[in-house]
Amino acid sequence: MILRIYAQVRSSLGVLKTGYDTDSRLGHLGFYLSLALTLLIALLPFYVMLITSLTPDAAIYSDDPSLLPGEVTLSQYSVLFTSETFAFTSYFFNSAIVALVTASFSLVVGVIGAYSFTRLEFPGNGLVRRGVVVVYMLSAITVVVPLFQLLARFGLVDTRLSLFITYTVSTLPLTLYMLWNYFESLPVEIEEAALLDGYSRVETIFRVVVPLSLPVLVAAFLFAFKIAWNEYIFASVFLKSQAKLTLPIGIEQMNSNFNNVWGQIMAASFLTTLPIIVMFLYLEQYMVKGLTAGAVEG
Amino acid sequence: MTGLDQYFESPAEQREALLGIGLILPAVLLIGAVILYPIGYNVYLSFTTVPLNPDRAPTWVGLENYVGLLSSTRFWSAFSTTLVFTVGSTVLSTVAGLVVAILFNREFRGRRLARGLVLLPHVTPIIAVAFVWQFMLSPLWGAIPNMLAEWGLYSNSTGLLAQSSTALPMVIVFSAWRNFPFAFLLIVARLQAIPESMYEAARIDGAGPLAQFKDITLPELRGTITIVVLLRFIWEFNAFAQVWLLTRQVLTLPIFAYQTAFANFEQGTGAAISLLLFLVQAMFVVGFVTLFGEDKI
Repeated sequence: MILRIYAQVRSSLGVLKTGYDTDSRLGHLGFYLSLALTLLIALLPFYVMLITSLTPDAAIYSDDPSLLPGEVTLSQYSVLFTSETFAFTSYFFNSAIVALVTASFSLVVGVIGAYSFTRLEFPGNGLVRRGVVVVYMLSAITVVVPLFQLLARFGLVDTRLSLFITYTVSTLPLTLYMLWNYFESLPVEIEEAALLDGYSRVETIFRVVVPLSLPVLVAAFLFAFKIAWNEYIFASVFLKSQAKLTLPIGIEQMNSNFNNVWGQIMAASFLTTLPIIVMFLYLEQYMVKGLTAGAVEG
Repeated sequence: MTGLDQYFESPAEQREALLGIGLILPAVLLIGAVILYPIGYNVYLSFTTVPLNPDRAPTWVGLENYVGLLSSTRFWSAFSTTLVFTVGSTVLSTVAGLVVAILFNREFRGRRLARGLVLLPHVTPIIAVAFVWQFMLSPLWGAIPNMLAEWGLYSNSTGLLAQSSTALPMVIVFSAWRNFPFAFLLIVARLQAIPESMYEAARIDGAGPLAQFKDITLPELRGTITIVVLLRFIWEFNAFAQVWLLTRQVLTLPIFAYQTAFANFEQGTGAAISLLLFLVQAMFVVGFVTLFGEDKI
């Protein structure tokens, strides 16, 4: 008996280890149980977020917290949009503006820059590439103190411009890196044909290379958007006035200024997650390529 | 421009080079102004005391900030907390990513959807997931402490995130949860490139699943796992938001730097901490680039 159990456990562990389909039923069962456990661990917080955002306050703060939904309400969401206490709409709008401007600007500078160092030869080309890779691994905390001092000196504290500049630059190494990888995979012959037809280099970039690179441009735009949407340190240090706060800082303040507004916090968290999840599921293929190619952080 | 002439054989080549420089210039100027110059300026600031009023110049204090830091217990405890957090979350997220990658390395129905769902913890904004975790772990309203208490595993009413002894492990678990999809994705991509014939040959030789894992899978994954570990180490060492937004009870060096500079307004000392952080990080980045070359990341 014990031997048989041991053999069965071994075979189901075997599935875990090699990933191969053994014929045993127990192996199958073991695989699906592990898969279910993985998905449970990955998704439980999202489930709790959604369920709590739909639960009335009385049930959230009951003596016996539960993972199962009871009564459903949309009041947590309507409070976010109507109440005077939460400026959620303006946080959302600020984040959207900052992320859109950042991603667009980063993409334009990235396209010409990446084209330059994949296709044109100039002294210092290799140095710039290496520099991009090194800068890409640095994080905000290493420059936040001096940047704050510089922005204060130029009178740029509490402006959206401070976020546009810092976010564009912090997403730029990744944009350059993703586009450069992609441009290198494009056949040079197409560009050479365009040049022979009398296009200038710059026309070739925008009329030939850009249309050929749409998938990676979409991916680069989304990653820049996601990084700007998610950014915390710079926004928390540079922004002062309520009307300019982005979502991460805004929700943080909702949490610290009011006690036990978990329903609203969960609703706000869900609405913050939603644009990213929609983009991600819709463009999953590009995003996965981008994640694997760029090993994205942010 | 006569200095440039010597590099080029023809005017056409020179035009290309000038265009190349022109097109990369915006990126280089931006990165120079917003990253490289501030890093240099940070070195200067770290030797000064910065007044609150931005119109007044910082006063030079020499090594004072560093001496103060290196002789304070708070700094060294933040340093060791950072190491524990970095090593713990790097190892845990890599191991979890490896296990899940192996699980996904076979055909099954709905695999693409499942992969997309597994990636969600990594792509979702930190602010959203940090607050759900706070809520789930809250001793009063959270379902998880409640469940643990019902099973008799946990009976502390102060909360897992409220005291530093339990907050640090929770932050490590949170970080591993958020980042295992990163390891998973890189590892599963590499796993799929291992030729099936290697496993067939091993099976004919009588190798069991364990032996196959040890002798084929792990050696084939070595390069990828090294990359994952190095990248995660670099990023965890500097991780700020994923610790700060979950609990205020864990003091890592990035948080120490942030609090010193922006809560206590000792920006000179804050600059000194970020410079020390930068030096450690630079060591790892240089090691990374020399190990793998700039085009293999």
